[in-house]
Amino acid sequence: MALSDLQTDYAGSKGRLFRLATWTSLLTVVTLGFYRFWMKTRLRRYYWSAIRPGGQPLEYVGQPLEKLLGFLIAVAFLAFYIGIVNLILMFLSFSLFQGNFVAYVLSFIGVIPILFFARYRARRYILARTRWRGLRFGLEQGAWGYSWRAIVHWLITICSVGLLWPRMTFWLEKYRTDRTFFGTESFEQGGNWKMLYRPYLPFLTGMIIIAMAAVFAFQENITAVLVAAGFGITISSYGLAHYNVHSFRKLTNTKSLGSIGFVARPRPWRVVRIYCFGYALVCLGLMLLMGIIFGVAIALITSTFGLGDFDIELLNFGPDLPFWASTVLAAVLYFSIFLGWGVLRQVFVTLPLARHYSETLEITGASGFASIGQRARDEFTEAEGFAEALDVGAAI
Amino acid sequence: MNPSTIIHVGAVARAFSSYADFLDGEFATVQCVEVAIEEHADGPVLRLVPPERPSTQWLLTEIRLVPDQADRSVLVLALKSDPVSRLMVSDAETQRLLLARCPNLKKRPPAKGKGRLLIWSVAAIASVALIIGVLIPVMADQLAEYLPLEGETALGDTTFEQVRAALSENELDPVRICENPRGMIALGRMQARLEEQTDLPYPISVHVLDHDLVNAFALPGGHIVIFRGLIEAAESADEVAAVFAHEIGHVVNRDPTRGALRSAGSIGVLGLVFGDFAGGAAVLFMVERLIDATYNREAEAGADVFAHRTLAEAGIPPSALGTMFERLRAKYGDAEGIVAHFLSHPSLGDRIAAANRAADSMTTSARPSLMEEDWQALRQICR
Repeated sequence: MALSDLQTDYAGSKGRLFRLATWTSLLTVVTLGFYRFWMKTRLRRYYWSAIRPGGQPLEYVGQPLEKLLGFLIAVAFLAFYIGIVNLILMFLSFSLFQGNFVAYVLSFIGVIPILFFARYRARRYILARTRWRGLRFGLEQGAWGYSWRAIVHWLITICSVGLLWPRMTFWLEKYRTDRTFFGTESFEQGGNWKMLYRPYLPFLTGMIIIAMAAVFAFQENITAVLVAAGFGITISSYGLAHYNVHSFRKLTNTKSLGSIGFVARPRPWRVVRIYCFGYALVCLGLMLLMGIIFGVAIALITSTFGLGDFDIELLNFGPDLPFWASTVLAAVLYFSIFLGWGVLRQVFVTLPLARHYSETLEITGASGFASIGQRARDEFTEAEGFAEALDVGAAI
Repeated sequence: MNPSTIIHVGAVARAFSSYADFLDGEFATVQCVEVAIEEHADGPVLRLVPPERPSTQWLLTEIRLVPDQADRSVLVLALKSDPVSRLMVSDAETQRLLLARCPNLKKRPPAKGKGRLLIWSVAAIASVALIIGVLIPVMADQLAEYLPLEGETALGDTTFEQVRAALSENELDPVRICENPRGMIALGRMQARLEEQTDLPYPISVHVLDHDLVNAFALPGGHIVIFRGLIEAAESADEVAAVFAHEIGHVVNRDPTRGALRSAGSIGVLGLVFGDFAGGAAVLFMVERLIDATYNREAEAGADVFAHRTLAEAGIPPSALGTMFERLRAKYGDAEGIVAHFLSHPSLGDRIAAANRAADSMTTSARPSLMEEDWQALRQICR
């Protein structure tokens, strides 16, 4: 490691993230979702500040109110599009095809260009509000250009039965990277799409075995179907993680920022382990949470209605339990599961993943930072409103 | 006392200095600056002295803490009037001093652009209200007229199967359709009697479902569904005929079709507003019900008017509809009976009164809607 190389530290802790996420999610539920703009802002500040290349934290400077404004603008426009288009599609679908399936498919297809558009704009907003060493990141305009390119790449990928997926990964990443700035300096994506093909092979192998399972199913060879499907699903699941991790490596290692370079070394097995253990812990946590809720509920019911009358059947919302009590219990359960899932997933999956990807990132040629200056603020009134309204890519 | 725990305040403060990392917001270089608290005419300041450069001063009252930082061993400080400069203080003693002496560390900046926020809030609410309240209903009403018969029938068939599955305790075993032949003949006679007076857009198919609910409803494409519970609760054939006429009113007005088109439009719009919220689905569902109920109130009144006229012309006293409602009220009370259905209906009291008024002004002579024998057969339709 040369003197001018920067290692990345990670300072996030599960305990603090758990408290922050729980508190902000509770406020979000209590305010009927209104607090979510504040929740996102606070959680991003936390996640960003945990990542410290060369010991200096990233800073997220987005504001909740600008997110709210962007959301309102997006709703004002999208409401027309979604409402009217869905209505007309439903009408046409029933007039011409005697069913609503076509309408659902068409209305999804109609939203696709906006989905890509919204994701690019969300990325632009997030980069415009991210700083490191006091300098802003930025993303040039180009959301519609991204949208039609993404659609064409998807069509090519689908027409090639998935064989050209790495080509799509590479070109879309290049489109985004080449428009990304750190201060006055522009990022550049080097390399070519063929370098992503080797990382793609395990997934492809898994998919081929699954295709064989389909052939066996056609021949009604049940044992072969089960064996092939089992192998196929296992291999392609690993293959997906392998592809994500190794394509990230290759794409990062061929990125440059002026004379500055990057080396990423995340490991696929580590990522698989984080997912498996993480989700196992999430499930355990949820069971524990439900146990506590039922325990409290039983204690309350027995103390209110008398110990002698207690019967486990009460919890089946039986006639003995007053309507309001069963409603409260159901609502508490519903929201706790919703909330618990979101919070625990962040603590046991998102944070460990962020830690792994951060700690395996190295920046080379850091002396190049000396010549990079500040860039102007990108006001960007709509913020990530479209992504927020359509629920894409604006999550933490 | 340990000298490091003494915090000196005011003009007598001991000279203090330390080092911290400074980001000037102009270049990506971290400068190690000497920091010192000094007294100044405007109040105490933090002087930042970078090597070989002119120093800057931060008024202690203008220093803010950057919140929600993951690494708590470092204080990240910002200046109120400067959006980009940052001071990273790692030294514990310096941190303690600054925390004690900067009075406004946790003060939030005033919200910018409140006016614009207000304008867009109004615009978003107006846009959603206009679309859900006016545009979608108007378009749904228009489009319902043009929906071809096959389309409407398909829509109705889909919904009918969904209802049967939803009401059953077992998804795979939908609620049974009652088809006792003698009962079917009686039901056919009642239908013929009511249809004589009506110009139907398409033929009606009526089904009795083997379920205890005291209820009936119409679906797109001319499906009318009556539950066994309603036939059992009725004390005369006229009461069933009255409800039947009311449902025919919905078919003639194409209410179910309009409703289906309307909810296709408004569900998508509501999804935009509530989609991302934990429990969004539950809120979405409740709001949809609420909006639906407002639409329905109008449709119910329309179907009542139709029923009064048709019954009177067929020689069945419209007051039978009122009698049926009274029975419902006796059984379920005014508000919470048949929870889902009648909550969205005009108050039962008003509807009973309207039915009785219509009966008073009836000019044709009354004939029972079914012969006694047929009425008994209808009551046995699920056997």
